[in-house]
Amino acid sequence: MVKHHPDTNTLLEFAASALPAAQSVVVSTHLQFCSECRQRLSQLESLGATMFEDAEPVDINPSLFDNVLARLDEVQEDRAANDANASPMSWTVKQIRKGNLDELQWKKVTRSLRIADLGDIDGAAEFSLYHIAEGGRIPQHNHSGTEMTLVLQGGFSDETGSYHAGDFITREAGDIHAPTALPGGDCICLAVLESPLRFTHWHHRWLSPLLQLRAG
Amino acid sequence: MVDKQGEGARGQPATSAWSVPTGRRTDEWSQCVVRIAEHRDRAAFAKFFSHFAPLIKAFALSGSSLSAAHADELVQEVMLKVWQKAAGFNPEKAAASTWVYTIARNCRTDMFRRLQKFDTQLEAEDIGFELEGDEPTMALHASRGAVRVRELMSDLPQDQAQILAKVYMEGKSHSETAAELGLPLGTVKSRVRLAIQKLQVFMDAGWEE
Repeated sequence: MVKHHPDTNTLLEFAASALPAAQSVVVSTHLQFCSECRQRLSQLESLGATMFEDAEPVDINPSLFDNVLARLDEVQEDRAANDANASPMSWTVKQIRKGNLDELQWKKVTRSLRIADLGDIDGAAEFSLYHIAEGGRIPQHNHSGTEMTLVLQGGFSDETGSYHAGDFITREAGDIHAPTALPGGDCICLAVLESPLRFTHWHHRWLSPLLQLRAG
Repeated sequence: MVDKQGEGARGQPATSAWSVPTGRRTDEWSQCVVRIAEHRDRAAFAKFFSHFAPLIKAFALSGSSLSAAHADELVQEVMLKVWQKAAGFNPEKAAASTWVYTIARNCRTDMFRRLQKFDTQLEAEDIGFELEGDEPTMALHASRGAVRVRELMSDLPQDQAQILAKVYMEGKSHSETAAELGLPLGTVKSRVRLAIQKLQVFMDAGWEE
């Protein structure tokens, strides 16, 4: 039973597609574990749909409908057939979703810790998988920004409690902890450390360069 | 938790804004999508287009986030997806309006990404989550529920409604919303939480904040 969930704010940002890609991957992977959050998500999406339906309609040029009609018979691009062209990050996310974690590139850091760096993704300074051997410990550390962690396998404990598969944990900047894998098996976690630029994600980079200065 | 709802343990399900589906949807837009899926019905598609295309354009232009030309492109992309994905629409799971909203939301996010030329090539479908299987949802179901949610939303204080609009309609994160409105991030977050509580979106006790 999953006990730790994304908070209302995070799930609502996810429902509105307002969460950066890295954080969205962690939330959507949590949803695979958690029917409670799936229900909440569908409620939050219907709320968005209510606002969408109540928007003030904007006139459409009639030629637009003709354009669409003319394209209805186009052969639909099949995403599945496009797998060969999938971007590396798209492929990586798929492996995580399927649990094919051995497919990823792991690096040994200490006797009990391996890390797979999942690469650059918007919203994240670090986007990675941690594999902590049963009973192993990650040295005490703190974060420069908010960190979201999802337990994929096994479990770990730290100063704040014990966490198991499916649990979603948020650590604020400055929180210090030293996670230790619980007995009973290795622990694998997906973690994203927010980029210092998270504050200025796409809209702002585009609309207002000044805000970046304020974010810094 | 669906079971909990079934037991009626939490309040009055009959008047709740959110209700467990009781059967197949019969609202006209859901019927439209079913006809598009089953009969490739162009008349149904035209009707659906005339209602939703102006809403999709409004959504695209919210917060001036896209140019008029990009907004038109978005309308076309979304309506083509409606045609292509109609067979995947399940009227027992979601209202047609929610379904088309999620398509529009995903297409807009992908368009933002293309326009920004992000290095990360990820599409909304890679990141998103779609309910699968026979899982029942407590999505907004009965039209009575939708009416109730509209009432509750119109009762929201302006400062909360404004923030929900920024997040949903403009796709802005809480941080971006805070920056634009000149508010502390904590204020934006707490207003969102207050609004959601009022909208009764969360029916379950024990939700950890």
